[in-house]
Amino acid sequence: MNEPIVITATEAICASGTSVAQIHRELLAGHTAFTPLSQWDSSAWPVPLAGGVPNIDGAGLFDDRRLLKSIQRLRRTDLLGLYAAARAVANSGIPACSAALDESARIQFNERTAVYTGCGGVGYYYQYDFLPALAAADGDLRRFADKLGATVNPTWLLQSLPNNVLCYLGIAFGFKGANTCITNHGTGGAQAIVEAYYALRAGEADRALAAGHDCPIEPEIILNLYRLGLLTTDAIRPFDAASSGLIVGEGAAAMVLETRSAAAARGARVRGEVLGAGFSTEAAGVLSTGASGDGMAAAIELALGEAGVAPAEIALIVAHGNGTAASDRSEAAAIRRVFGRDMPVVTSFKWAFGDTIAAAGAIDAALALECLHAETVPGIATLRQPDPGCAELNLSASPTRLRGNLALVLSRGFGVMNCALVIKAPRDGHS
Amino acid sequence: MPSRRRVAITGLGLVTPLGNSVEETWRALLEGRSAIAPISGFDPSGFPVRIAAEVKNFSYAPPPPYRKLLKYAARHVRFALAAATQAIEDCGQSPRPDNATRWGCVAGSGMMANNFDDLVRFQRCFAANGRLATRLLFDPAAGMPDPIAYARNQPNAGVALMAQRFGIRGYTGAVHTACASGGQAIGRGLRLIRRGSADMVLAGGFDSMVNPIGLAAFSLLGALSDCNDTPSRASRPFDRTRNGFVLGEGAGFMVLEEWESARQRGARIYAELAGDGNSLSSYRITDSHPSGDGPIQAMREALRDANAQPDEVGYINAHGTSTIMNDRSECAAVNAVFGLHARRVQVSSTKSLMGHLIAGAGAVEAVICALAIHHSTLPFSANLEHPDPQCDLNFVRDRPVQCRLGLAMSNSFGFGGSNNSLVFRNPEDVRQ
Repeated sequence: MNEPIVITATEAICASGTSVAQIHRELLAGHTAFTPLSQWDSSAWPVPLAGGVPNIDGAGLFDDRRLLKSIQRLRRTDLLGLYAAARAVANSGIPACSAALDESARIQFNERTAVYTGCGGVGYYYQYDFLPALAAADGDLRRFADKLGATVNPTWLLQSLPNNVLCYLGIAFGFKGANTCITNHGTGGAQAIVEAYYALRAGEADRALAAGHDCPIEPEIILNLYRLGLLTTDAIRPFDAASSGLIVGEGAAAMVLETRSAAAARGARVRGEVLGAGFSTEAAGVLSTGASGDGMAAAIELALGEAGVAPAEIALIVAHGNGTAASDRSEAAAIRRVFGRDMPVVTSFKWAFGDTIAAAGAIDAALALECLHAETVPGIATLRQPDPGCAELNLSASPTRLRGNLALVLSRGFGVMNCALVIKAPRDGHS
Repeated sequence: MPSRRRVAITGLGLVTPLGNSVEETWRALLEGRSAIAPISGFDPSGFPVRIAAEVKNFSYAPPPPYRKLLKYAARHVRFALAAATQAIEDCGQSPRPDNATRWGCVAGSGMMANNFDDLVRFQRCFAANGRLATRLLFDPAAGMPDPIAYARNQPNAGVALMAQRFGIRGYTGAVHTACASGGQAIGRGLRLIRRGSADMVLAGGFDSMVNPIGLAAFSLLGALSDCNDTPSRASRPFDRTRNGFVLGEGAGFMVLEEWESARQRGARIYAELAGDGNSLSSYRITDSHPSGDGPIQAMREALRDANAQPDEVGYINAHGTSTIMNDRSECAAVNAVFGLHARRVQVSSTKSLMGHLIAGAGAVEAVICALAIHHSTLPFSANLEHPDPQCDLNFVRDRPVQCRLGLAMSNSFGFGGSNNSLVFRNPEDVRQ
């Protein structure tokens, strides 16, 4: 019998808000959070909107002024990840617990604390730092090399590491345990949680911080997604007959996971539990985002099987549902195949704050837990007429009361990688 | 309690600066041939560092049904596809429709976004004066960027293409923790099989930063050796005259397989992948603490995970980058973990001959550890004439050593503070 893996804290940030509770409230109110693209001159762009987070500079996250100075040199995606993760750690009460330990116990505590992140990898715009040298060089690499010193920050590489959130969480909190950084497009954030969950089950650590973060609001990504026909100029309408694509958003979310005994030993309040995970790939090429639904159905079945949960016991499905028709239909087919007549409430949150790509799975998991606690799930406020292929899903445009305490969270990314996660909200503070 | 699933290494594949196969790479390592030379892939004459370990005479041609994959595969992804093909052929198994969901793929992949040629094209079209003219991006007259380039430059393009090429339908993941990526990916593969997420895993790492951006980035940091006139001696891990690492490129892959099923089908087992240890240094972005704190925990955890004692380890393939800080911190860590046995365990850094493959390094060096066990032969550290007094380990120098190994260890420590150690066991020593 595996020891239960519990969730003791969460935090999230996206265009809809700077805390899980605020984001949940905004979604319940039916508010979308998109704003005109303003980071660059987009007047000639057919895509007018994105889900940007205003004013994030990392101030106030850490007491150490030197650390604050270093993180303010980081990329935006890293600031978002550090924001969510540092707040989740603060919400978990871990710093106070660790501070109360004597030195040798604290060393042990930190070595038994793991960190897993999922992120978008290196942004295209990081490399724009080299554009002035390339332009001056005009094909002559000698001149390119000459110009570097004057045009590129010597620490460019260090500012660009995809694993910077891992690095700075370690430095900020002293965590020294197992770790990795997953750069697997749309499933990365969910996989950070999945890897943390399995690491705890295998005894690799006693507690783990899992964070997903991404910042896909950049010209090249928006341009390419548009040309691939994935972006809408309307609204994100997941599972709607008039769905026309996605809008990108930026954001991050983090969770503190612990073995039940580690959480009990420090008297932590249990907010939730991870019961099982499933993953599949459809081996369909880099840019494919959903063909038959077989892959998603397989991931769901694996996750339910590992959790020991029957479809009828699931109260809520937070779907990937990013408003692109092919992906939504194949996801709906997968859900229909597994749940049939036992269809739970199905929703997707991307209509409100956009597709945050590598952050999406983590944000969705944090919000799903909030919905279970609040016993209320936001509707898909942009839904008007469900697509015929999605009609059997239990969809609603307005908030729904939830019965039950189990949620299934689905994520998807390029390469048709599918990830499913079953989480539970204990009703009485114990799992 | 049910016994934990063991993991066998049954297939190996390498594309390295020393050779485009396992055999060629291994032979060159034992002969001590250096792969480090003046950079030939582009004009490096304006850079302070003009040497690297490049993959040579490389071509990759998938079978006809998969030819269209090539346009999505950048140079380092082609290294990965070639090395992975070798590993799958070597193990004698490949995913079939009835077991494809039981196959996984985990790879440590590099951190470059646009490859250099794509970036140059982009600059010419949209940043003629060095600043991105975002208005032009949607202007057909400026020449639209190529969506295939976008696909080619996805961080999980390598894993997605390997899944497509081999028909892998189970768990897939791209990981990036700088120079620890390849080792961590193989460790993830071990854990996928142990936890039952897969029965067979294609695991490895690949990278190429031997391009003007990669060379610029590491040169600006001052991390590279500038021994341009003596390239074959530029990488000299643990030598007191060392002055930085040498960039390499390539890929290493292995097929990991649940032990019992490998045994039952009579597979050749190179080694047991017995332990995986990971830690965060939580010290500085570029270095571990001089005491070895960080790497110490990774090595201890890998040994604990393998149910092994330090004195069972016969060989360590060191991270040994040839930078002052890494080599000292790593030696301090080996001393802390191995105690008196640190005088006996034999240590070498194969980066002395093939340079540093960054996200591919840990995977290539894991393959080398499996080969060291399989051939009872330890590759040596080249260019180690005067060991740094603070690097006081029992180095394999000058020539390979014939030696039956019980356990071997591979270390990989990354910028950002992620550390990975893997432990490999001689298959003859596996008792059920």
